[in-house]
Amino acid sequence: MNSFYLKITACDRVFFEGECVYLSFPGVDGSLGVMAHHQPMATVVENGLVRFRLPDGSEHEVIVSDGMMNVENNRVDILAFSAERPDEIDIRAAERELEIAREQMQQKQSLIEYNLSSASMARAMARLSGARRLKSDEPL
Amino acid sequence: MAQSREIQNRIKSIRDTMKITKAMYMVSSMKVQKAKNKLAASAPYFDGLKRQIADILLHFPEIRHLYFDNRQKDEKETVKKKGFIIVTGDKGMAGAYNNNILKMAREAIGGSEDFRLFFVGEYGRHAFHDLQDHIADDFHATAYDPSVHRARVLTEYLLDLYDREELDEIYIIYTRMVNTLTEEVVKEQLLPLRTSSFLRASMKAKGDMAKDGDYLIYPSPEEVLGSLTKNYVTGYLYGALTESFASEESARMLAMQTATDNGDDMLTGLSVQYNRMRQAAITQEITEVIGGAKALRRKKEKNRKARTEE
Repeated sequence: MNSFYLKITACDRVFFEGECVYLSFPGVDGSLGVMAHHQPMATVVENGLVRFRLPDGSEHEVIVSDGMMNVENNRVDILAFSAERPDEIDIRAAERELEIAREQMQQKQSLIEYNLSSASMARAMARLSGARRLKSDEPL
Repeated sequence: MAQSREIQNRIKSIRDTMKITKAMYMVSSMKVQKAKNKLAASAPYFDGLKRQIADILLHFPEIRHLYFDNRQKDEKETVKKKGFIIVTGDKGMAGAYNNNILKMAREAIGGSEDFRLFFVGEYGRHAFHDLQDHIADDFHATAYDPSVHRARVLTEYLLDLYDREELDEIYIIYTRMVNTLTEEVVKEQLLPLRTSSFLRASMKAKGDMAKDGDYLIYPSPEEVLGSLTKNYVTGYLYGALTESFASEESARMLAMQTATDNGDDMLTGLSVQYNRMRQAAITQEITEVIGGAKALRRKKEKNRKARTEE
C-alpha cells in the first residue's frame, strides 16, 4: 500500500512521526482527507479531531487546536498548539473550561476578549467531543 | 565583652540571611531547569512554523501581506507608530538582569516620537514612571512562569492594535540565554515580519520544492498566511517569555550564589575576629589573675618580712 510520511508537532512535543496511509482532518469548510502523493498544499486545520491510519492498519485519533498543515513531496506536516489523544483529555477540566468560556461570552466585552473566549470555547468543545466519543464509542 | 556579643549577633544574622539565599538559589535553579525544558520542547513546533511561512513566501513571492515588511503602505509612511514590548522580571534580587533590559529599552526608544510601551513584568513599569503617558495601561502581564495561554492573550491584544493600524512596528526587548552563564539583551522586530529572514532560513530546501502551478493554498494564501502569522507571533512571544523567565531565574541563581559566597567570606572574617577577641579577653583575664596573685604574694612576703624584722 502507498504510504506517506506524517509528522504531527504540538508546541510542547512531537506527537507523532512516521509512515501513514490515510489522514483525515477538519478543514475550513468540513472534513478533508489526505492519501499518499497528495498535491502540494498548505491549509488551516480547525480545532477538532484528526484521524490517521498506519500501514499496519491501526487507526489513531488526536485532538488538535489552532493547526496548520503543509503537504509537499509526499510528506505531511501538521503544526498545532496542542495535540492530545482522546484518553489524555480530562473531561471534567474540559467541561470547566467550556463553562468558563461560556460565562465570559455572556459578559459585555471588547472584541479582543470576544475573540479569545470564542476561541477557547471552540477548543474546549473540540476536546470534549473527542474525549466523549472515546467513552461512548458512538460515531462522530 | 560587649563587642564580642555584637559580633556574635552579626554572625547569627548573616547565617540567617544565608539560609534564605541558599533556599532562593535552589528554588531558582529548579525554575531554570523547568523553563529550559519547556523551551526545548517548543523548538520543533516553532521551527516548523518558520519553515511553513518560508514555503508560502517562496511559492508566492509577489504576495503583499499586512503582516510582512513588503506591504505597500510602508513606502508611503514617514512617521512610524512604534510599540515596544519590554520583558522584565516581576521583582528584583536578580543581579543586573532588570537593569540591563531597562538600559537597552531606553536606548531603543531613543528619539522616537510616537511610541507606546507594553510591559511584561512589574519591575519595568515602575522604572519607566517618567514615560507614564506612553505606557499602555490596560496591558498587564506577569513574567512569572509563562504559558501558551498568556502568549495567546498578548498576541490577540497586539495584533488588534496592529490591524487597526494604531501601531506600525512592534519591537520586543527581552533577554536571551546564550549559555548557562551568559545572557544577552536583544531587541527584535516582531511585526511586520521580515520576509528576508524567512527566505534565508529556507534557502537550502529550495531544491526539492514543488512547482508553483501545483501548489494549492486553501482557502486562500492571505488567510493561511494570516493564520500562520498569528501562530508564529504567539509562538515567538511564548519563546521570548520563556527564555526571559529562564534568564531571570538564572541571573537570580547567580546573584544568590554570589550572596552566599560573600556571606561565607564575611563569616570567616567575623569568626577570626571573634576568636581573636575572645582570646584577647581570656589572655587579659589570665594576666589579671596572675597579676593579682603576684600582688597578693608580694604583699604576703612583705608582711612576712615585716614580721621577722620585728
